[in-house]
Amino acid sequence: MSAITVFSAKKIITMNPARPTVTHVAVREGKIIATGTKDDIKGWGDYTLDESFSDKVIMPGLVEGHCHLMAGGIWKFVYVGYQDRIDPDGNEWPGVKTLEDVKARLAEAESTLGPDEPLVAWGFDPIFLMDRRLDKTDLDSVSNSRPIAVMHSNFHLMTVNSASLSLANYVADMEIEGIAIGSDGTPNGELQEMAAMFPIMRRLGINFREVGRSRESVIDFGKVCNRVGVTTAADLINDLPDEDVAEMTDITNGSDYPIRLMSLLNGLAQPAEETSARALELKKKCTDKLRLGSVKIVTDGSIQGFTARLRWPYHYNGAPNGIWNIAPEQLNGLVAILNDAGVQMHIHTNGDEAIEVALDALELAKIQNNRPDLLHVLQHCQMADRAQFRKMKRLGVAANLFANHLYYFGDKHYELTMGPDRALRMDACQSAIDYGVTFTIHSDAPVTPMAPLFTAWCAVNRLTESGRTLGEYEKITVAEALEAITLGAAATLQMDHEVGSIEVGKWADFAILEDDPETIGADKLKDVGIWGTVLAGEKHKIP
Amino acid sequence: MKTREKPLPMTVLAGFLGAGKTTLVNHLLRHPGGRKIMVLVNDFGELPIDEELIATREENILTLANGCACCSMGGDLFAAFSAALDFTPPPDHLLIEASGVAEPKRIANFARAEPDLVLNGIVTVVDASNIEDTRSDQRLSGILNNQILTAHLLLLNKCDLVGTGDIERHKETLLEINASAPILAISNGVLPADIFFGVDSPSSDSAPTEEGEHHHSHESDFSRWSFETVSAIDKTELGELLETLPSSVLRLKGIFKSSDDGELWTVHKVGSYIDFALLTTYGDVSGRTGFVAIGLSNSKLREIMDEAFDSLE
Repeated sequence: MSAITVFSAKKIITMNPARPTVTHVAVREGKIIATGTKDDIKGWGDYTLDESFSDKVIMPGLVEGHCHLMAGGIWKFVYVGYQDRIDPDGNEWPGVKTLEDVKARLAEAESTLGPDEPLVAWGFDPIFLMDRRLDKTDLDSVSNSRPIAVMHSNFHLMTVNSASLSLANYVADMEIEGIAIGSDGTPNGELQEMAAMFPIMRRLGINFREVGRSRESVIDFGKVCNRVGVTTAADLINDLPDEDVAEMTDITNGSDYPIRLMSLLNGLAQPAEETSARALELKKKCTDKLRLGSVKIVTDGSIQGFTARLRWPYHYNGAPNGIWNIAPEQLNGLVAILNDAGVQMHIHTNGDEAIEVALDALELAKIQNNRPDLLHVLQHCQMADRAQFRKMKRLGVAANLFANHLYYFGDKHYELTMGPDRALRMDACQSAIDYGVTFTIHSDAPVTPMAPLFTAWCAVNRLTESGRTLGEYEKITVAEALEAITLGAAATLQMDHEVGSIEVGKWADFAILEDDPETIGADKLKDVGIWGTVLAGEKHKIP
Repeated sequence: MKTREKPLPMTVLAGFLGAGKTTLVNHLLRHPGGRKIMVLVNDFGELPIDEELIATREENILTLANGCACCSMGGDLFAAFSAALDFTPPPDHLLIEASGVAEPKRIANFARAEPDLVLNGIVTVVDASNIEDTRSDQRLSGILNNQILTAHLLLLNKCDLVGTGDIERHKETLLEINASAPILAISNGVLPADIFFGVDSPSSDSAPTEEGEHHHSHESDFSRWSFETVSAIDKTELGELLETLPSSVLRLKGIFKSSDDGELWTVHKVGSYIDFALLTTYGDVSGRTGFVAIGLSNSKLREIMDEAFDSLE
């Protein structure tokens, strides 16, 4: 019989209501065999006591239900965001707070590059776009010969210098949408949306999809998760060709790889029947640490990009309604086919019209074939109203709410995109609880930084970047938020029988915390220190 | 990344699911008029190509015996554009079959921004048999209007399935949304490649086009007009003249010497979209300059064009 290791801790928050807090957890064969006191555990036989966490708090390993592998690979570019971040290797990147800071950060990076390398940066924050916009002259002061491209945090905008502009022959006003023009009548360096950015990205060799696919990126992604206490994470869209699956299997099998990785197949890259067949094929390739077989379907765009599909009265500032990536009729067909085949769907819906259309499609599919074995999930689900939560409950559909948006984009939603009424009720965690809808909250990293305890802080406090409270009613308690980032997320990934709580029979996946999130105070939830994680009983200290 | 000698003309094909885009693409691949067309589609599954036409099949690129190729985008426009631009042998034309709910202008913007691409127009196919239903669905009407509004050429397809009165009514609807784009009533997605891609200018030595073949649709045969001239022409004046041409002139291309700078310029027009580009950067020209237009043959194309260009000289 394999040996038992018992971890002792100052406090173990189990998420198991029958035994909410304990002091010891016993692990055998990577799984939890017992919890409680030493006395409770000793009946299972001899054990080794590991007291290295005796001054720490243990929680179930955190589960990030919506992020992207690119959160690892993106760090090959220079970070110029407003918030402090830590890269996968533990280097601290203090947020750049002024345009002068941005330039200094770029100049420092520039000095380390070889002669032919372009300088590419990411994470530039829209907060700088309020008074004066970053433009080519700022970047020309860093270098007027080396091409520079600064990707904004939303990935829909970039600012480039004159050397980049001339590579793409953007030297005069060609009246092309997306190429911003300065007061002198020439392109000022700001490029909006993919069409305008493509010529620069092509010439500088920037390809974000490839960035997420690389071996280094998958490895770095694991490090990003480890730093924030995450032991299970879902990569929300991937083409998953065989060679990538083989590589991901190889990487995740390594005992040093600190997470269970779920990766979702892009449901719009091939006809519905092929998606369904491929998903079922992928499901057979699951391992303990690589989970496949679910499908992502993107219906609309983003709220901050004014591309979400909204119902009346549409955008607060009068911008035209957003875009569909799939027609509602076609979605009905796709959803029915996948549901019939037994494939779990994660459906990207930001606007309330997209949510309505997705729920209608799920309703039709479930009238034909209810499949109670499948929990389909609306991802982002930001603008759902209470009637839609009631419908989710009726249909047995879960929600993954984008709580980080409250902080990062909340002011913009209040002032520009949604207006007060709808901004105050967006990402409505309390409504999900009111109607018993299974839900979690997410970061969509690298769109916003991955850190489930920060995401929980957002859902609890609903504070925007400027300090406005975005809807008192939809705040949830710390306990509810902690459940959302563990069991809630595990449920949306249909893994709640394996992870998400510290209970007998589940994987011994833990987040090891320096502080107690239950007592540190709601306003300090984001500041809880993290030592690292335990995965299947193996320690992964943050290096 | 490869750099092309001259930019690749790109045509965006828009239209709702079921409007007949795929049928039209299939028709154009079978009758490319000597052009090496590269088609970007969302996936091959929706484009049934006869096996005997296929020369090679790679993971996401099919090449046809007639030199055309078909590339599956799989939702990744970025990778698809890179693949098309790097493809060997370089295609003569790029056709993008937009998804049914795409806003074609967003895709067309790629061609306007990328120096190795040149926009050859947005063609939108509208289903005559259900345009009214789609327009009354408020979840879709905005996108349908957008596809119609931003088109440079409108194809009212499936006209064999509706009555003459319906066709006229639908044409009026299209005209109300977009007054500048020519509207062609077609059936079964049949349209000559010369109309879809434009006629080749007099100086190019491309293979013979389909002139002389008769393509019957409800109202039209197409005819061609051409005009050679070595005279220098005022670009602004030419632009103004082209704007006044009636919508029965479907497409026009030309190479001319500009009186402003003495350089050779190309011009092409489809609907209200007129694009001028400096030619000299694209290598040697055989020296022939002039204009060629294609239009509805029952529209006195020759009289219209002769009169217009007489005024230029």
